[in-house]
Amino acid sequence: MQALREIEGGIQLSLNVAACLPKITRAPIFESFLRQVYFTGVTAATGVILRACALGVIIIAVMMNMLDADVDLAVKILLLLVFREVGPLAAAVVVILRTGTAVSAEMAMMRVSGQTRALRYLGIDLYDYLVLPRVAGIMLATAALSFYVQFLAVLGGLALSPFIIEASFQELTGRLFELFTPVDFYYSVVKSLLFGFAVAACCCWHGLNPPDLTQNAVPKVVTKAVTQSMMLVLLINAVFAYVVFGILFFGLVKANA
Amino acid sequence: MSGLAIRYARRTPRHEVQVSVPKGAVTHLHLPDDDAKAHLVTAVLKARTEAGEELELFGESAASLAAGQREKLRLRVGAVSPIVGLMTNLNAWENVSLPAAYHGTPPLPEVAQLAHDVLTAFGAEPRYFLARVPDELGMLERKMASFIRQLVAAPELMVFDALEDGLSFAECRHAARFEAEYRARQPEGTVLYVDIKEVS
Repeated sequence: MQALREIEGGIQLSLNVAACLPKITRAPIFESFLRQVYFTGVTAATGVILRACALGVIIIAVMMNMLDADVDLAVKILLLLVFREVGPLAAAVVVILRTGTAVSAEMAMMRVSGQTRALRYLGIDLYDYLVLPRVAGIMLATAALSFYVQFLAVLGGLALSPFIIEASFQELTGRLFELFTPVDFYYSVVKSLLFGFAVAACCCWHGLNPPDLTQNAVPKVVTKAVTQSMMLVLLINAVFAYVVFGILFFGLVKANA
Repeated sequence: MSGLAIRYARRTPRHEVQVSVPKGAVTHLHLPDDDAKAHLVTAVLKARTEAGEELELFGESAASLAAGQREKLRLRVGAVSPIVGLMTNLNAWENVSLPAAYHGTPPLPEVAQLAHDVLTAFGAEPRYFLARVPDELGMLERKMASFIRQLVAAPELMVFDALEDGLSFAECRHAARFEAEYRARQPEGTVLYVDIKEVS
């Protein structure tokens, strides 16, 4: 029953956010949106530089070593694994850990301390003022952060590859641009936006619906929001990969008889 | 001035509360306990009743109101109350101007002028006061910020809920001037002080 209530709540929240999207231009909502973008995207950016570079380096080093790769394989690994999959996923993890926890705790605190009730008495819709700017801000920031992580990870991988295989940095970069298609970019942008939406919606919903109105509810809310956000991100990743690469481009994937 | 701003009744096994507040008057109410007080303030602010309650606001029965009418009625009521507290992640200016910025009325320069005038009248330095977040404000200052936020909406009925709670004698004298400040802006407005009976 609880799971059904959460799914229904999540769908309701998503519909409400979509309905109040035009209100994002209102001054306090837009301000809140910008704050969210700054907190989720800009302040997280410096923290991921080293991690993103290391990610690309480690993946390329391990794969090269295992597969005894050439230039083509090295670039394909960078594109398929780092750009399409690991980049958005790594950004989503950073967003969940930094922003998801903050948003769910902040909202739960507001709910427990009666601030959400005060907003309602002032005639301010909670979806307009609290949920919409957070969801929109986190979506946009996740996409931007994802692009940033992908760029750094690919750059890290390209920088390391010449030390492992016999190919220059220029050669690898040239091959990368040859193999890169706009689909790679759209695929990761859409996926990142979906990740951001799932994380934001999940954290907002749990923040606004704590199990009780005591201080003890706050850590429970954060734990639940983070674990469910992670599950949602992994689920979207799996479904997205299957739909895009399984059906859209190659037809329904079937096991060989 | 004729008629009632509030007619409220609540019957529970423990006690019965009957309240009539004439329009334009200043009324002091002492209710039996916190629960009774919270129920009255909540009913008035929501323009909605629970089981065992009856409420008429400005002559309109809360039970028979459509959603739109209820919303309009709620805009005519303001409260300086712990129930309508400040947002802790916004500074005093953002708290004061939030409803106006959200609803788009009155214009923000007007709100800024009102805040400046009221704070100056209360001997506070507006720039310093408005830049602080609620956790950096004292109890009286928080009530002042909440009061200014309500003044911006120019309600016809102002409820002061446990106004003197947590204030020193000197601060109580300051808080007593809220009524005059409200009257200066809403000469025909109704003022309701709500508190609980002191048990001696």
